[in-house]
Amino acid sequence: MATVLVVEDEFGIAELLDAVLTEEGYQVVTAMNGRDGLDLLARERPVLVLSDYMMPVMDGASLLARIRADPALQGIPVVMMSSMPEAAVAQRCAGYTAFLRKPFKLFELLDVVGRVLGKGDGQAP
Amino acid sequence: MSGANSTGLKRVMTGVPGLDTILGGGFLQGGVYIIQGTPGTGKTTLGNQIAFNHAAQGGQALYTTLLAEYHARMMQHLGSMSFFDAARIPDQISYLNGFGTLKSDGYPALRDLLRREVTRHKATILILDGFATAQRKASEEQDFNEFVHELQSIAIATDCTMFLLSSAMGVKETPEYTIVDGIVELSDRLLGWSSESTLQVVKLRGTSYLRGRHAFRITDDGLVVYPRIEASLARPSRLEPDAAETVRSGVDRLDAMMGGGVPAASTTMVMGPSGVGKTTLGLQFLSQCAADEPGLFFGFYETPARLRVKVDKVCPPLGTLLDSGAVEVLWQPPTDGLLDAYGERLLENVRRRGVRRLVIDGLGAFQSAAVEPVRLNQYLTALMNELRALGATTLYTLAVPDLTGPYIREPARDLTVPSDNLILMRYVEIGARLRRMISVLKVRNSDFDPSLYEYVTTGHGLQIEGTLAGADAALSGVPRREGGTRNQEPARRGG
Repeated sequence: MATVLVVEDEFGIAELLDAVLTEEGYQVVTAMNGRDGLDLLARERPVLVLSDYMMPVMDGASLLARIRADPALQGIPVVMMSSMPEAAVAQRCAGYTAFLRKPFKLFELLDVVGRVLGKGDGQAP
Repeated sequence: MSGANSTGLKRVMTGVPGLDTILGGGFLQGGVYIIQGTPGTGKTTLGNQIAFNHAAQGGQALYTTLLAEYHARMMQHLGSMSFFDAARIPDQISYLNGFGTLKSDGYPALRDLLRREVTRHKATILILDGFATAQRKASEEQDFNEFVHELQSIAIATDCTMFLLSSAMGVKETPEYTIVDGIVELSDRLLGWSSESTLQVVKLRGTSYLRGRHAFRITDDGLVVYPRIEASLARPSRLEPDAAETVRSGVDRLDAMMGGGVPAASTTMVMGPSGVGKTTLGLQFLSQCAADEPGLFFGFYETPARLRVKVDKVCPPLGTLLDSGAVEVLWQPPTDGLLDAYGERLLENVRRRGVRRLVIDGLGAFQSAAVEPVRLNQYLTALMNELRALGATTLYTLAVPDLTGPYIREPARDLTVPSDNLILMRYVEIGARLRRMISVLKVRNSDFDPSLYEYVTTGHGLQIEGTLAGADAALSGVPRREGGTRNQEPARRGG
């Protein structure tokens, strides 16, 4: 079962993503900040990272930079999520695979996940 | 962003209109403050407004939520507010969520998270939204008290001012309320079909503040707080000018009746029933304005368009002054108004433009806006004292309920503020015709003519004619012919 890492400090959103993606057939692991996310990345080797942009301890931009700088991780697609406009986020972090503007609808989430993982319908392998 | 009080403690100004006045200049830097209110009273708007205003002054704000509105939704709601500036996120304002940390690891972890994030972001203010969540999570009261106490330690060590937004209406005697440096309470109460939002500083260490409730509104600019006029202007902002001179009323005969004119920087109440000509007299008073003697018409009942029609009809010279800007019209519908907002708006214009002649048309509107009628007398007294101190010669109209009759009833005791001068306008019935009468009842420090004069309204305003000679008891509205009986018979024409 493919693993998705959700890095999100808003507890309710993390729980919702966990529930939805689990129903879609993914194994979901969650972290509340970038640093915990990095720890999980090393252990879980997810096929996809969904990361919030603003978080305590280590934000999404720093997490993304660490992923892209690590040869072992840099190939993992990262979907950046934020309530800020993409243009504002893009100024401060580069290299994400896709962007989701909060608040997003669930079908938008599944669309992006499916697209990034190369599965038009968003279904897990 | 900050100033200092007499003890050298720096202040964090909120930038929220009216609030810093109530706080005596702002919150004290490095303090911990609870902002509490039931859901929907405006805490989150206030918290964000403080954060954005602080950032606009160069500060760093950290907005941390527990169980509160989702950040995305919050930003959608705030997006239309004028203070919201997305460009300040995240460089100057960061939004974080601490609920997961609190839920999984408890207070110590949340405390450590806040300490680290305040340090990492070099935050100069922290907003903790959803503080009631932390209060409810407390299984041990001691743990929670320690958490609040430790927050205070962090605030002092980092010089970061903290605002804890809580939907719990706390009791002042509880430990956390004892520990914090201040408590601000937002409340909303129903008054029949309408409601009133008020802000009250319940506690504030280290500074004087305006006690009691102050009305506020949530507008597109965020919260706008209106300090109670009688509290903020308990003493006028400056000494009253030593004015011995008089100014022209705009009606020559009235000047003579008042002993040479209207005393400068005085207040004059013009009482009379509806339609008798009070507004017209006010317009004539303003027609004496000039570029270096600006005027203001502050009215409630006649829209600027309707007023302009009236000006053109009964006081054409005022039209030129309106066109040039020497006289301005401030109109506010008397429906759903806020008493202190009226005062604020009026005084702002008088101060900004250096208004020398002011007409307040319809003092009764203040009564309608007074949620607590008991306030009205003190409010109006403070307002009039300030207007005198600002050097504005003020004429205000007050409608009395009876068109004619043997009694002159006060509209309401609360409206009978100490007035320097008093003018009465009445209808009198003589010979089955309603005629109009004007008299001066009081003039500050001056002799005056107490006779009753008849007047008519012409294309140039009020024109005072002779005294009501030959009629006694004219003030009763139903005069008697001199030496005769009460004139109740219709006038007979043609013999």
